[in-house]
Amino acid sequence: MLMEVKKELKFILLSIKYNLAREMTNKVTFLTNIIFMILNNAAFLIEWIIFFSIKDNIGGYGLKDVVLLWGLASGTYAICFLFFGAVQELPNLIMNGKIDSFLVQPKNVLISILTSKTKVSAIGDLIYSYILLFIYGFSIKNFLFFTLFIVTGGIIVTSIATIFGSLAFYITKADTLTGNVMGTMLNFDTYPEGIFKGAIRILFYTIIPISFAVYMPLNILKEFEIIKFIAVIIFTLFITLIAFLSFYKGLKKYSSGNLMSARV
Amino acid sequence: MNNVIEVKKLSKSFKVKVKEKGFIGSLKSIVKPKYKTIKAVNNISFNVEKGEIIAFIGPNGAGKSTTIKMLTGILYNDAGSISVMGIDPTKKRKKLAYEIGTVFGQKEQLWTHLTPYDNFKFFGAIYDIPEYVVEKKIKEFIEIFELSEFINTPVRNLSLGQRIRCEIVASLIHEPKILFLDEPTIGLDPVVKENIRTLIKRMNKEYKTTIFLTSHDVGDIEKLCKRVIIINKGEVVLDDSMENLKYHYLNKKIIEVKMKEKVNLDDSKGITILKDKGYNLKLEVDTKKTSISEALKKLDSDKIIDINISNVPLESIITNIYKGEK
Ligand SMILES: Nc1ncnc2c1ncn2[C@@H]1O[C@H](COP(=O)(O)OP(=O)(O)OP(=O)(O)O)[C@@H](O)[C@H]1O
Ligand SMILES: [Mg+2]
Repeated sequence: MLMEVKKELKFILLSIKYNLAREMTNKVTFLTNIIFMILNNAAFLIEWIIFFSIKDNIGGYGLKDVVLLWGLASGTYAICFLFFGAVQELPNLIMNGKIDSFLVQPKNVLISILTSKTKVSAIGDLIYSYILLFIYGFSIKNFLFFTLFIVTGGIIVTSIATIFGSLAFYITKADTLTGNVMGTMLNFDTYPEGIFKGAIRILFYTIIPISFAVYMPLNILKEFEIIKFIAVIIFTLFITLIAFLSFYKGLKKYSSGNLMSARV
Repeated sequence: MNNVIEVKKLSKSFKVKVKEKGFIGSLKSIVKPKYKTIKAVNNISFNVEKGEIIAFIGPNGAGKSTTIKMLTGILYNDAGSISVMGIDPTKKRKKLAYEIGTVFGQKEQLWTHLTPYDNFKFFGAIYDIPEYVVEKKIKEFIEIFELSEFINTPVRNLSLGQRIRCEIVASLIHEPKILFLDEPTIGLDPVVKENIRTLIKRMNKEYKTTIFLTSHDVGDIEKLCKRVIIINKGEVVLDDSMENLKYHYLNKKIIEVKMKEKVNLDDSKGITILKDKGYNLKLEVDTKKTSISEALKKLDSDKIIDINISNVPLESIITNIYKGEK
């Protein structure tokens, strides 16, 4: 069992290595991609700085909190798209019968699919997220927690997208659905939690659990609470399990398809 | 027991949405979708022995690819049982993957941005083969399968033929016991086809790999395979050795003649006129019913300019079986 996990981990890293090698065939595009992502993110932060100069507390968050929130959010997405970059395309791959080649390989199918693509811009996101952590305040403790939480966050986001993506085994419109869910998570979690109240808040903790991915980690970084910490870890494991179960259940319905296709 | 593949009463059907024409039709299919069941594979059984090269053929839509996909663990079967190297593909997919190789002529497995060399190394890693072993293996393949010319060219810059060659070689990195090839020669020119055939033969000889091949190219089948399984509409219609297949039809000869003068000839016992253009005739003679000499007597030998007597080509034997004639 442990041996298997080790093999899969080694394989994930190797996939990323080859993905990056593939992306780096054009070095100029590669670097511009990263730099533009950092600039792009920074532009959003400037909006908030202007916002705060008018009103200095939004939804209970001060400027420093927003910086950390942004750091966690972009780190979360960086991990998702760096390691599991193909998750966005999962429904498409399923619908167009493009997962055949993963099914004949002696590795976990879901992991092989998800790791088959790496978004270069995610490197920009990752660098940016650590820059924000530095702005927020650097300490070894913060660094370790931050790193742990962007990994759990990345896994949570990937898992949710996988769960929705697996619907493609049953229905044909799953690609737009996954796109919407990912988009919603991406948009919401860059706003202070306090803005959202009531029903929408419940939604965050259930269907779109960015709460566990970003808000709770933020609170833990501000003030450590063992209960919240355990909740984040347990939720991450739980949602990962659900993601695997949904995918493998759907896989029994996979119908391949006869399209002429190439890997790109 | 020498069987590496055992298939018993295997079936698979697909459910496809039926769409009616026009806007109203589209609306209907959203509100109350209608489904049609296609029986792609219907209750087929066969065995394959170790080291065989099997041609698994049939007309378009016969269910060949569907069968291969079930044998390789890509699709789940509805009914029946499959055992490949003693493994049930639906239950032990990973274990099976180490034992088999797959090449789909219509689907690419290689990463187009990487060179064949890097692709092979990545495949090696997928199968947990130590790096130095992979490197040695690649060297061996470059030699045997003559890849040195393009081993370091990104796959997307390779010609179709070179690419397919690399696809096949990539599927051999982990030394599979069985290789499944679904139309490996599709879209290739005759020279490259010959190349691929040589490669397949060599593989079978050097590594004792069992080969399970589908193709619409009679040349592939004739030059490679000792046994043929023909399926049509999801059912096995013939499972026999190549020799037997030919033997059954060997009692039929084709006579093509060019005459000085017009001849009038009608179908008679054992003789069928295939083509009659006055001066040029094409006859099929069933030697069980009448002899060649009898048939020739019907033609005035003085008036013959040219004559050619041949066996029925494999192509038309197969076509006849597809059409359901015997
Ligand atoms: N994913 C799918 N969804 C629905 N129907 C399918 C699917 N795959 C195959 N079929 C149907 O099943 C039947 C068998 O298809 P299959 O691809 O196995 O044929 P084949 O023998 O490989 O044909 P070809 O020589 O054209 O490749 C066909 O009628 C086809 O339309
Ligand atoms: Mg086919």
